[in-house]
Amino acid sequence: MANEYKYIGKNYTTPDLVAKVTGKAKYAEDYRAEGMLFVKLLLSPMPHARVRSVDASAALALPGVKAILRASDFPAPPAPPTPPGGQAPPAPPLPPETALTDEPVYQGEPILAIAAVDENTAVEAIELIKVDYEPLPFSVDPIDSLRPNGANARTQGNVYTGAGPTLKVANVKWTDADFAEAKEGRLPMGEAPDTFVLGDIEEGFKKADLILDETLYSQSTGHQPLETRTAMAYWQGGKLFLHGSTQSVAQTVPNIARMVGLKPDEVVLISEFTGGGFGSKIPGSGSMAIPALLSKKLNGAPVMMRITREEEHYIGRARAGIFGRAKVGFRKDGRIVAMDFFTIQDNGPYNPQGDHRSAGSMATLQYQPETYRWRGISVLTNTPPRTSQRSPGGMQMNALLDPVMAQAAQKLGIDHVELLKINAPSGKASYGPIVPATKKQAYVTQANVREALDQGKVLFGWEEKKATAGQKRGTKVRGVGTAVGVYTAGSIGFDGLAIVRPDGKVEVHTGIGNLGTESVIDCQRVYAEVLDTPWEQFEIVWGNTAKGLPWTCVSAGSQTVHAMTRAAHAAATDLKTKLQEVAAKIRGGNPASYTVANGKVGSLTFAEVAKKAIELGGKYDGHEGPEDINVFTKNALKIVAGMGLVGVAKDTYKRDGNTHSFVAAFAEVEVDTETGAWRIVDYTSVADVGTVLHPRNLQGQTFGGSMLGMGHAISQRWVYDKQYGVCLARRFHHNKPPSIMDIPATIKWDATNIPDPETPVGARGIGEPPVGAGCGAVAAALVNALGAEAFRRYPMTPDLLLTSIESKTWQHDALVAHI
Amino acid sequence: MAVIHDMMPAFELFQPASLDDALGLLDRHGADAWVMAGGLDSFDWLKDRIRKPAVVVELGAIDGLRGVKAAGDGIEIGAMTTLTEVVTNPLVREKFGVLFQGAEAAASPQIRNQGTIGGNLSQDARCWYYRAGWSCYRAGGNVCYADTPTAVNREHAIFGADRCVAVNPSDTAPAMIALDAKMVIRSSKGERIVDAQDYFVGPGTDITRLTTLQPGELLTAIRIPGTWAGAEFYTEKVADRKVWDFPLVNIASAMKVNGSTIERARIVVNAVAAQPMRLEAVEQFVAGKPRNEETANAAGELAVRGAVPLAHNAYKIPLMRNLVKRAIRGGDNGWASTS
Amino acid sequence: MGIDFLTRGITPWGQSVFTHISWDLLWVSFFAGVVFLAAHSVYMLLSAHSKRASADVDALEAKLKGLPEKIQRHSLPARMFHWIMAASMLTLLFTSFLPIVGVKFAWVEWHWMAGLVLAASILYHIIHATFFMDFWSIWVGPKDIPELKSEMMRELGGDTSGPKAAKYPLGNRLYHMAIVVTGIGASATGLFMMKKVQTPFFTRDPYILADATWSWMYVAHGAAGVALVGLTMAHIYFAIRPEKLWLTKSMLFGFITRRQYLEHHDPTRWRVPGSEPVGGRPSE
Repeated sequence: MANEYKYIGKNYTTPDLVAKVTGKAKYAEDYRAEGMLFVKLLLSPMPHARVRSVDASAALALPGVKAILRASDFPAPPAPPTPPGGQAPPAPPLPPETALTDEPVYQGEPILAIAAVDENTAVEAIELIKVDYEPLPFSVDPIDSLRPNGANARTQGNVYTGAGPTLKVANVKWTDADFAEAKEGRLPMGEAPDTFVLGDIEEGFKKADLILDETLYSQSTGHQPLETRTAMAYWQGGKLFLHGSTQSVAQTVPNIARMVGLKPDEVVLISEFTGGGFGSKIPGSGSMAIPALLSKKLNGAPVMMRITREEEHYIGRARAGIFGRAKVGFRKDGRIVAMDFFTIQDNGPYNPQGDHRSAGSMATLQYQPETYRWRGISVLTNTPPRTSQRSPGGMQMNALLDPVMAQAAQKLGIDHVELLKINAPSGKASYGPIVPATKKQAYVTQANVREALDQGKVLFGWEEKKATAGQKRGTKVRGVGTAVGVYTAGSIGFDGLAIVRPDGKVEVHTGIGNLGTESVIDCQRVYAEVLDTPWEQFEIVWGNTAKGLPWTCVSAGSQTVHAMTRAAHAAATDLKTKLQEVAAKIRGGNPASYTVANGKVGSLTFAEVAKKAIELGGKYDGHEGPEDINVFTKNALKIVAGMGLVGVAKDTYKRDGNTHSFVAAFAEVEVDTETGAWRIVDYTSVADVGTVLHPRNLQGQTFGGSMLGMGHAISQRWVYDKQYGVCLARRFHHNKPPSIMDIPATIKWDATNIPDPETPVGARGIGEPPVGAGCGAVAAALVNALGAEAFRRYPMTPDLLLTSIESKTWQHDALVAHI
Repeated sequence: MAVIHDMMPAFELFQPASLDDALGLLDRHGADAWVMAGGLDSFDWLKDRIRKPAVVVELGAIDGLRGVKAAGDGIEIGAMTTLTEVVTNPLVREKFGVLFQGAEAAASPQIRNQGTIGGNLSQDARCWYYRAGWSCYRAGGNVCYADTPTAVNREHAIFGADRCVAVNPSDTAPAMIALDAKMVIRSSKGERIVDAQDYFVGPGTDITRLTTLQPGELLTAIRIPGTWAGAEFYTEKVADRKVWDFPLVNIASAMKVNGSTIERARIVVNAVAAQPMRLEAVEQFVAGKPRNEETANAAGELAVRGAVPLAHNAYKIPLMRNLVKRAIRGGDNGWASTS
Repeated sequence: MGIDFLTRGITPWGQSVFTHISWDLLWVSFFAGVVFLAAHSVYMLLSAHSKRASADVDALEAKLKGLPEKIQRHSLPARMFHWIMAASMLTLLFTSFLPIVGVKFAWVEWHWMAGLVLAASILYHIIHATFFMDFWSIWVGPKDIPELKSEMMRELGGDTSGPKAAKYPLGNRLYHMAIVVTGIGASATGLFMMKKVQTPFFTRDPYILADATWSWMYVAHGAAGVALVGLTMAHIYFAIRPEKLWLTKSMLFGFITRRQYLEHHDPTRWRVPGSEPVGGRPSE
């Protein structure tokens, strides 16, 4: 089926590429305006404090200083809507995070902002400000906070319990007895408020021939997009114009509107290029409100806030670290008969994070255990706020479980690939907790994990590499490992919008962010396919909401390719129908008899039909639109109405199951047993993501995701001093994301390219699953090379490995969060 | 006063075209002057606003400080020669492979294009507590934040902790000591030449500096005699990343071997103390010994005698021991190719 | 203000703390010491002696027949304490202040080891003085005002019938007092500081005290240390002054002669065997 496409599945050059590689692309920081002012932030030096008073008199007296912004200048967040006839929803357990605060809950949290004629002046002003802080108790380590006398990160408590309307912050302390096992480095398992169970694990373990019980820690890591969340704002005609960095253009607008106290149609967002987000800029950033509100104070003067690399560490979000303990029961044949998975999540100081719950859920999808229990506790800490990072929870699940699988394969004498295949999800595989409404688990649209594993095994040369694994040559030893990454990969129900212009071009409007994945362009290939018209005839409009963009999914959770190819398919079909109808109105006859191909409708050109559509008006030129489209698209329609023949539609295609993607990964590592230094010698991944939309970008995403995962295994860290609760690894050379030299020079890849039956184009997302696969395969390979006693935490730096090699068992601290 | 980073404070910039002008400027401005070579260490301090000099003297315009030239049977390297120039210089490659490898291991290709050999040798400690701008011993205060019950110190010292446990991070310093280099230091008062080994100082001697350079002095050149030219060299750097990283431990050695007997050796290890450690006891021990596993093992054990580990850096003891062993053994350690 | 007496630093929380006193104060103490010595020597050249007139001594000698030729002034343990303390004190001062004035060497280990010796010797001295010596003989109090007055009179050249020194002359005792304050101050704070350096005794832990407490502790240690420079200079000066050599000798050999005893002391205030006058107890 994939082969029938003319455009889908073919390589091409996206229209934004030249600008990106020549430096012509304009990111938020590249904009300048007459009289532009610059912002600098005053950051909290303490991990938890209350601002008693601020003396900014000297700063404000400094020539060139224009304004100060405090937390109190932010509009109160609108109350959540009360359901008709119902009761008002309960207040959230913690006050919501705003971009500035008078009760900082992590070191580096912005307290106030100064706008001045230039950055030098703003910085000098910041240095003149005296802030009187009242230090409050703090905790940077979730396990410390759970100890009998541990401090709470928030005055309200230290642990999130419940969910939805019952969400609370409670004070949870475990007993000394709970901590008894911690002395041996095993994760203590006290009271855990979150849990779900599948079957009877006690019975399951009875059937097991091998039971492993392993503690591992997957560190918190910053998102580290290369473009920091710089933003520039000005006001004109009562509207806020904001240049920012976001993963999702359309959905950032209501987010900014809410923060600044406006209606969505009072905000114009310009974000044509985004230097990466990885989940940290899903709907933009809270900090965007700072230049917006300062500009408002200054009668709309343009205000630029450049965020530094260090500030990005603080406000730029991070993955929630998870301490995990997995007790896994295997039958002799490798089947997992019972899994008991316990997680302690480092929640950060604000919103409840779902990573540990996702980890618990994804484990059931990846390993399909016969019986299962997940328990979790999410502990608040005074460290920078967490949010989803590419494969949130999925990646940690791989990090915590794949070393256990590698060990099991060794102990059971079963090939690791076979072990994964035995337990792999297939077809409409079920996963997660029992859904109350259906009394059954949810299930995926399609899984072809065994096929991916088989394909990758050959491509990687698994058998040959396995033959030399474990052998020592000189001081070096090699190991091979494999893992499967799984994650959600698509949502539904968004809108498409495109215009056939009177000049014959098809102008496709999209609200997808240009965050580096190229889905902003790739999804629009569906229009070319449906209209059977050369790609050269298409122009893509993105990144500026003043131009009228349709309601679009957030680019997060690998949704975009799935959701927006569907929306594109719907809008393209609408275009096609309207083209045929208008052609029939010009030439007569049955609309269906007109073939749409090569920029023509029958013998009429698109240009001719578009001119007629404008004449006809109504639904043909966008003056009328369908009722079911989002209000955001309706507003966009007002902007584009009359420009040509307008196709607009909501994705209402049916879907049976929840869309998930899979990546099978294979890694070979080589460890120097005298130094603990190691490298990835070879790596292969095979994506099971449905129809391949754009091979080159799929390759890029597979590699990029894998590399992010490998970075967790190799070197990326997050370091806090416990005494003061302050960050130590502030710079790239401290927190060490992986470099291009840390991965093999060539990486092999492929895709199963089996269309997903539940979506018209058959394509699913790729963003998340390679991350967990990359980390898991590398970790499994290290276990294969060095044995299960080599490590208990990530990243697996030479110091940890060497100590383990020297002492024949792991020696490092497994239960300390940020070292 | 609130602390804010990432904005260089204003200073007066001088870019002297001659060494005499530079020395004159340093003389005139005394402690107010900051000397900048490639800027890779300086900009950190300046951008973090921890150091706010009134005057910056940038040495890039002084031609005479740049380049590698033959000097007798050895070479002389201008202090402002970039690491890339050192790495690509045929004389260095041919005669002093240990320096070539050390320089090539430093930082990243981009940083080596900008960073200088003088700067690499004279750079300040990278302890993240010290670099945070807090008043630790090295910053003139009276606390070591890196050696406390909760400190994160896996990159810190196992030798010579005299209150401060920061280490010298240079990738080229061990090679210079191994090669018996002489450091040419100029000031307005004249020239002094110190052995590479004596160029570096520990916290006992001066807790606020890593080198013997005093205000008003400039390292102008490094002279490497022919003593060890063409000897058998060994270098290795162990770091978390393959590029853009400081060493966890690194080693440079030069050895004259006759048949299977070690005639004499120079072995220098860095990132284990505040100054690069020349292992003289090991050098004496191995001189005249057969080059075999037994000698290597004994040398390794001898090297780490007296090491005092901190909470997170005990691994440096076996790491240093093994690197010394490998230096005695020489050769590569197997399986170098990609697959 | 001109001079900053305290050097400031910054904590990880951006709070300003004192790191130590300004080392300029070392020079202040040193020059104060030098000026005092110079002034005192000049003065001594011109001033009258303060010892008892020869005739009076003869009379006393005749009266107190039971007095031995040698009178023990410092027991062996007391002398040992003094010299051990002196050695450790000098080591402490040199190891701390030489690096500050530019003589660089690895001083910390010497410093804390000497400090431990000093602290141990002080502890020993306190116990010894409390249980085995005339504890109160060294203290200064309101009862010393008559002696102060008469000493002042004597220094000004006039003779007076006021009391002469008991076992320890007033100057001696005032000096002891200053040493008690500075010495105990320096060694007590110094003992805490041992938690800040690598020693075989403790795990390093600067967090046993709050940043602000440490800050004052360093100021106290520095101030005591600087004061001890001046005090030590004065002490050595007096020890080698010709008219005080008899005292220095007694610290070496333990005794003074009968004549020295009678020249400088008030037998009624420092009782030694044989100092009981024939005519019964003198009033006090």
